Amino acid sequence: MEAADTFTLLPLQMDDATGTVSASGPANNALNTELAALNALHRGLLNVETSTGTPPPPVPVNPKRSAQIGKLRESGNAEFRKGNPAAAVKLYTLAIDMALQRPHWEPSGLVREEVSGLLSNRAQANMAQQNWAEGSVDAEASVEMKRVGNAKGWWRRGKCLLEMGRLDEAEQWVKQGLEFEATEQDLVQLRDQIESRRNGQISAV
Amino acid sequence: MWPFDAVDWLMLLVPVAYLFIMIGSLTVFLSLYRKRQAAAASSLEPWFPQHLQRNIYLSLLHQEDPKVPDSILKAALLRRATEDIHRIVQIRNAKQALQVLLQRGSVGDDLWKRFERAEKEIEEELRDVVQEANAFAPNWGQSIFQSASEMAQNNHIRECLDEILAKAPKESQWWNSRRAEIQGSFMKELDEEKIRSREGSVAGTGSVVGTPAASVAGSVMGEDAVMVESPSGKKKRKGKK
Repeated sequence: MEAADTFTLLPLQMDDATGTVSASGPANNALNTELAALNALHRGLLNVETSTGTPPPPVPVNPKRSAQIGKLRESGNAEFRKGNPAAAVKLYTLAIDMALQRPHWEPSGLVREEVSGLLSNRAQANMAQQNWAEGSVDAEASVEMKRVGNAKGWWRRGKCLLEMGRLDEAEQWVKQGLEFEATEQDLVQLRDQIESRRNGQISAV
Repeated sequence: MWPFDAVDWLMLLVPVAYLFIMIGSLTVFLSLYRKRQAAAASSLEPWFPQHLQRNIYLSLLHQEDPKVPDSILKAALLRRATEDIHRIVQIRNAKQALQVLLQRGSVGDDLWKRFERAEKEIEEELRDVVQEANAFAPNWGQSIFQSASEMAQNNHIRECLDEILAKAPKESQWWNSRRAEIQGSFMKELDEEKIRSREGSVAGTGSVVGTPAASVAGSVMGEDAVMVESPSGKKKRKGKK
């Protein structure tokens, strides 16, 4: 970084009609990426409903989007209970997209919470259709978003891996899960299942 | 009057010259030393690379024709604050480790100097951003870094998620081919078993072979979905391989 009172003047120009900034001279990759991010942020910032046009402080969250996401999740759950997992997957996907489209200055903890729950539900709906591969990826993502207190996510990926016959990975995963949720009965059972399956395999060979 | 003529001026000159030479050489040495130190410090590589976001913000701010609207400047300032958050986190993480390394003598003094300079710079940078923010909207300076830190976090979350979810198509492709493989080998074994048992009971005549084989294949087709689901069936396949 340069000294506090100097900076490098970059060759930038602004398009009046669209209100986007672009590089006018030779530009490297980093500059272009940064400008794209800047323009995206600018578009988001134009929709802000504060008098000053600055993003509001993170804490009071705009309840509108939360309500929409909640609604989508509820209808997804309803479809799943009706025995219609394909439709449920679609609804959960919509809800996840909506949660990820939250303006970035809103609390990240909230996004983690929402997305983790939704992904876990989508994993379940995928598992109900025997899409073990998709289910395992969803459950992994869910755990990545929320490691503690997400026993279902841990269990679901373990189960998917077991169903796909990837015993080594399943064992690793469940072991890791037990470090976070040592008392979870389902996980313990799953570990036993994996072990017995592994023993059966060895004896068969 | 004090007897001036009693003083031996020539002899007095000796201590005066001594003092003069001592002080003079010390000053020259000090000034040279300081200059060299400053040169060494300024030639040290900066801790962080160029602050691209800051350059963009200031370039936009100084653009005269046409003036850049405030909304873009605000966005640019937010980007700058987000980058500052990354840097603060890096500095905080590095500080303790670096202190320990320095105490043990594992790293040189230069590195520590560079680090201290970066720390000072980032403090100034933060103050500057807060001032700029307050110029755009009253009290924005208080919340801009909260927003920026959430933005940094949110970016991180989305990157992580994208990375994981991008694996889904590949995984499902792998599983589909694997499932087909398992099914194929399972059906082949079933076929072989049936043929063997038939050969055992009826010494198969050429005309009969066609139909039962087809019907066996059909019945297996009907069952295969169930067979793949049931873990035990699959395990046996794998086990026998």
